[in-house]
Amino acid sequence: MVLDWLLGMIVLLVKLGLILGALLFGAAYLVWAERKFLARLQIRLGPNRAGKFGLLQPIADAMKMLTKEDLVPDGADTFVFKLAPVVVAVTAMLMFAVVPVAPDLVLFGRSIPMVIADLNVGLLFIFALSSLGVYGVALGGWASNSKFALLGGIRGAAQMISYELALGLSLVPVVMLAGSMSLTEIVAAQERVPFIILQPISFAIFVISAMAESKRIPFDLPEAENELGAGFHTEYSGMRFGLFFIGEYVHIQVLGALTAVFFLGGWRGPLLPPVIWLVLKIIFVALIMIWIRGTLPRLRYDQLMALGWKVLIPAALVNIVLTGVLILLV
Amino acid sequence: MTQDPSQLKGKSLPPPRETSGAEALKALVTGFATTLKHLGRRPITEQYPEEKRELPARSRARIILTRDPDGAERCVACYLCSAVCPVSCISMQSIEGQGGRRMAAWFRINFGRCIYCGLCEEACPTSAIQLTPDYEHCQRAILKSVYEKEDLLVDHCGKDPDYNFYRHAGVATEGLDKGRHEKEAPPVNVRSNMP
Amino acid sequence: MPTLTIDNRPVTVPDGTKVITAAEQLGIMIPRFCYHPALGSVGACRVCAVGFKEGPIKGVEMSCMVDAQEGMVVATDDPDAVDLRKHVIELLMLHHPHDCPVCDEGGHCLLQDMTISGGHGRRRYAGAKRTHLDQDLGPLVQHEMNRCIQCYRCSRFYQQFCGYRDLGVTGIGTRVYFGRSEPGTLESPFSGNLTDICPTGVYTDKPSRFYGRRWDYERAPSVCIHCSLGCSLTVSARYRKAVRHEARFNAQVNGHFICDRGRYAYAYASQPERPRDALIAGRPATLAQAATQMSERLAAIEKGTGPDGIALMGSARSSLETQALLARLHSEKGWRTPCFSADDAATRVVSSALNTLNATNTIALTEIEGADTVLLVGADPIGEAPMLALALRQAQRDGSRIITVDPRPVTLPCAHDHIAVSGDDLATAVAHLIIGALEPSREIALDADQQDRFKTLKQETRDIPAAAELRAIGHALTTAWRPAFVCGTTVPDPDVPPLMGLLQALVQTSCMWSGLFFPLPGANTFGAHCLGGSDALFEPLLAAVEAGQVKALVVVENDLFSEYPDQQRLAAALESLELLVVMDCVPSAITARADIFLPTQTIYEAGGHYLNNEGRLQVATPVIAGGLSIMDTGGGNHPPREFREDIPGGTPRPAWQYVAGLATGETDPPDVKPLLDEALTAGVADGERVSLPSASREWPSIERIGAGPEGDAGGLTLIESAATFGSEPLAAFSTVLAELTPLFGVTVHSETAQRLGWRAGDRIVIPDSAPALEVVVTLDDRAAPGVLLVPRRIGIDRTALRRYMAHLLAE
Ligand code: SF4
Ligand code: SF4
Ligand code: SF4
Ligand code: SF4
Ligand code: FES
Repeated sequence: MVLDWLLGMIVLLVKLGLILGALLFGAAYLVWAERKFLARLQIRLGPNRAGKFGLLQPIADAMKMLTKEDLVPDGADTFVFKLAPVVVAVTAMLMFAVVPVAPDLVLFGRSIPMVIADLNVGLLFIFALSSLGVYGVALGGWASNSKFALLGGIRGAAQMISYELALGLSLVPVVMLAGSMSLTEIVAAQERVPFIILQPISFAIFVISAMAESKRIPFDLPEAENELGAGFHTEYSGMRFGLFFIGEYVHIQVLGALTAVFFLGGWRGPLLPPVIWLVLKIIFVALIMIWIRGTLPRLRYDQLMALGWKVLIPAALVNIVLTGVLILLV
Repeated sequence: MTQDPSQLKGKSLPPPRETSGAEALKALVTGFATTLKHLGRRPITEQYPEEKRELPARSRARIILTRDPDGAERCVACYLCSAVCPVSCISMQSIEGQGGRRMAAWFRINFGRCIYCGLCEEACPTSAIQLTPDYEHCQRAILKSVYEKEDLLVDHCGKDPDYNFYRHAGVATEGLDKGRHEKEAPPVNVRSNMP
Repeated sequence: MPTLTIDNRPVTVPDGTKVITAAEQLGIMIPRFCYHPALGSVGACRVCAVGFKEGPIKGVEMSCMVDAQEGMVVATDDPDAVDLRKHVIELLMLHHPHDCPVCDEGGHCLLQDMTISGGHGRRRYAGAKRTHLDQDLGPLVQHEMNRCIQCYRCSRFYQQFCGYRDLGVTGIGTRVYFGRSEPGTLESPFSGNLTDICPTGVYTDKPSRFYGRRWDYERAPSVCIHCSLGCSLTVSARYRKAVRHEARFNAQVNGHFICDRGRYAYAYASQPERPRDALIAGRPATLAQAATQMSERLAAIEKGTGPDGIALMGSARSSLETQALLARLHSEKGWRTPCFSADDAATRVVSSALNTLNATNTIALTEIEGADTVLLVGADPIGEAPMLALALRQAQRDGSRIITVDPRPVTLPCAHDHIAVSGDDLATAVAHLIIGALEPSREIALDADQQDRFKTLKQETRDIPAAAELRAIGHALTTAWRPAFVCGTTVPDPDVPPLMGLLQALVQTSCMWSGLFFPLPGANTFGAHCLGGSDALFEPLLAAVEAGQVKALVVVENDLFSEYPDQQRLAAALESLELLVVMDCVPSAITARADIFLPTQTIYEAGGHYLNNEGRLQVATPVIAGGLSIMDTGGGNHPPREFREDIPGGTPRPAWQYVAGLATGETDPPDVKPLLDEALTAGVADGERVSLPSASREWPSIERIGAGPEGDAGGLTLIESAATFGSEPLAAFSTVLAELTPLFGVTVHSETAQRLGWRAGDRIVIPDSAPALEVVVTLDDRAAPGVLLVPRRIGIDRTALRRYMAHLLAE
């Protein structure tokens, strides 16, 4: 028994290490990829000085961030100020805990689930964490004692709370179809058809809301550098700013993974190993997001709110009813 | 169209123009198509230290003080360039030089501040101050960006090969007395006026 | 009072107002070159054309030539007028040289402004331009005739307004030339104003030639402190150096102009010898060390000898702030009453003069321009208060009679009657004027007591050679409508001002308006008097020092050696002091002797309040923060490339701060108004005269008049009096003015010269003088016989001079 427990522990730690490593590495190179891809969309070259194709740029950036002075502005609430970036980065990473990266692996006769925690309420776990993420933004903005940061924080809170609703509603049909809130179950339910085919509306609402959740252009009102400096993280410097940064890019990966899990069949795919499929799908979603960033201008605040409350939420509700009716009928 | 803000008081602003769904969709598609098309194009970036473009003669970078065709300093320290400079990076002191010419005792440009707008060149009545295409004069030590007259003065006429202010000015300087400048009548004198 | 409409706005102006002035009242600035409010209109430049739409005159006319009339409708933007102005500008610019970049007027040039606003941007004339040879006009004014636009302002100013003849106009057409018949230094002590009034760059300021542009100058309104009139100035400074004074319009004091002494006096503030560091026993120390040592040593002396052991010495050139704090130091600590001048004779006259002034008899400088008779007794305007001479000139141009009664051969830039009376006889002379004014018929108007006193006066008044003439003038004064009375405060004795007051009071009953005007010895002599300073005489103070009662002396901005006649006695007395503290902004004989020296700021750095000779409170605004000029720190080359937190040479603090440090420790400038209120028990406002007591009906005491002059009536007297250049302690440091200062000379009547065996042009070497002093003899029969007249001059060996003259007198 003890041995079992010990083995389980070791396996868990290994999985944790692998996923964490992959996420951080992914975040770093996602930054690189974004800069390169965006540059090409704008007929530029992008980073190309640090290493071949600028491949060492993330390392250079990390070194820069680590060696920069860590400033806490006068009059800031020091504890909250220091806590906020941690909240953002940790919540983003924790979300990955429930994402299944591959089918169960059978090793020495043991079946090892390729997910850190296969919760039966995985979906709720994700919503919970993404709600917590709002705190990072709102508190960071408030604790900075700067008007720009405060405005950014307030915008962030309002925006994230609004879009969380649409995000949640867009997944109700998925849960209805899969009959479970466990992500592993949801992936399993797409054995034949990925849900993107069955639920295109849900998919669209999910992707839009997800982008708003991760505060990406065209939904980057909390940062809005030309209005607010850098919004909620205006006053952050050095690695604390780096944490916000990491949080954002981990978040993108998580969203990519969730999109894959909910709509693209998760790790499923022909020929290639499942993990690779998942990674490819994540990259695909990320590239789409970058493309959107390179194309669309930032929304106005009223447009942002109107889109969330007047379009996405009603559409999601209608979609739920339709799905319900269809399930009953079929 | 400008509107008197006082007239707007109490009234709500006109609603923003609505775009139809088709229009919006078209705009979205064009946008994405444009960026996608760019993806395939060759980047226009020039790789600076490796590729150096030959700049046109009138490009605006490092500033020089030129000399007139006779080899004398053109600058008469009139303070017009320092007055027009939007970042106040030119300072000087005028003095009476040899031969009664007005000239700069010292002339300083702080390139740490200069924004290479070219207004000084435009203001200069003597063609003395000119911007050149040489843009490679960054310095690690900020004080090295402060150029004095010795650093600025060159021994050519720059872009204006002909102009010599003192041949037109009408003020008497050594070797060029009243009435001997371009288009001048012989001078009147209080003696010549006396009966 | 016609009402007219200019650019659709009505305005009502007094009769005789020109349309151009009427427009100014509406804030409409019609272009002008030849018109100047002080010089009037001549219609020479044609640039002030406006359109007359309705009323008595129609069409395009010159607004400076047309009197405003009822019902006129004027349009400054009339298309015909605009077109005419545009062409006039182009015509004026035909021959104008292409030299704005090297012209010092550029940046504040009326011609530039008009050319630009007239829209004339490109020269169409391609012919040859007329040119002119320039003249050397001396150290103050630079000449560049090519730039002239023939507005005639300069010749009108120089000849008509100032009354000097050596600059004028010759020629016609393109040959018109403004200059002197020979190159040479301009004779007028008002020549600097040419640089202000010339609308182009023909006359520019020579000392500040090529120094900077108007837009780069730091400028602030200030007050001239180089005589007691307190003319209004605008000071220009650049790179921590005051480089130019310009006249600032002041309707009560100087009008539009200032004199050359005031205009070029600023050099003392940036002279290389200016002391900028604190010294303890002649060795450099920090300000804090010196100040601490000063308070400690003063405290120690106070402990030893009581508060009486410490004496305070202020000066008439300090601001009211400094003077007031000295007075407060005295009242708080009980130290000896501050004394503000080492020249007790002058202090006594000032005191009696200012006690004669009252709320009804004081007049302002510009009011003198309106007088129809001006009587000057013991006053030499050109030397003592130059702008007064210009005011007299204006009065005379209006037909006023000017009479000078003086031992000196007073010269004025206008016709005047001069009566030479020896210095001791001035009181007697005024007594004769009074007798003339009352006899034969007006004495019956006096009450019994006054009649008694008048009788005494008549009996006591000695006969002097000019008696009959004076009585006739006295009589004539009673028929004047607007007589003004000017009385000097250095040459006359203390009896003269009250007698002048009496004369004025007697005449006042029969005229429309009259008043008293006293030029004073120093810029802030009035302030010193108000703060109780004129009661404190220097002689007793010196005696107390010699007797060892006073152990410490604090001298604030005063070079005692240039004020006190006996320099050896003074030196010995100072030697015997335990502690001599000196605060000053210029080097002097006394700064070198100080045990503790504290450098003070000049008016350009500290600003301050000043009371002029009629008691007008005026403010000088600080212009620069202080410190060595960049021109000096760079040694003529570019400023050093170093970063430092302090300003090099920026140690000096305002004098009042040091004094405050001894008294109350304040660091903000004191508000002088409450302090003045306390002293005068009446309110006072900037630019206004302080409240003076109301007129008293008392006759002044006249006991001393009969006593006759001290000493032998046939003997010689030495008069040392202020000259335009070289006498004022601060202006004396100006190197350009030094060029204008004549050789040191003695002026005597030819009779006296004969008695002494002198001939004109003789050079007398004063024995035992250090530095060696040579005196040139000038003969002038307008001087009173028996008077040896020398100018006050800073830095000469006055002891040796006096010794020599005393020896002459004794012979
Ligand atoms: S280029 Fe522009 S900024 Fe630079 S010195 Fe000239 S005026 Fe100043
Ligand atoms: S504008 Fe030309 S002539 Fe005038 S100071 Fe500048 S460089 Fe010299
Ligand atoms: S010199 Fe000056 S003031 Fe005199 S006429 Fe010419 S422009 Fe006028
Ligand atoms: S008259 Fe006196 S106060 Fe006026 S400018 Fe001359 S020196 Fe100064
Ligand atoms: S100002 Fe009227 S003509 Fe010159």
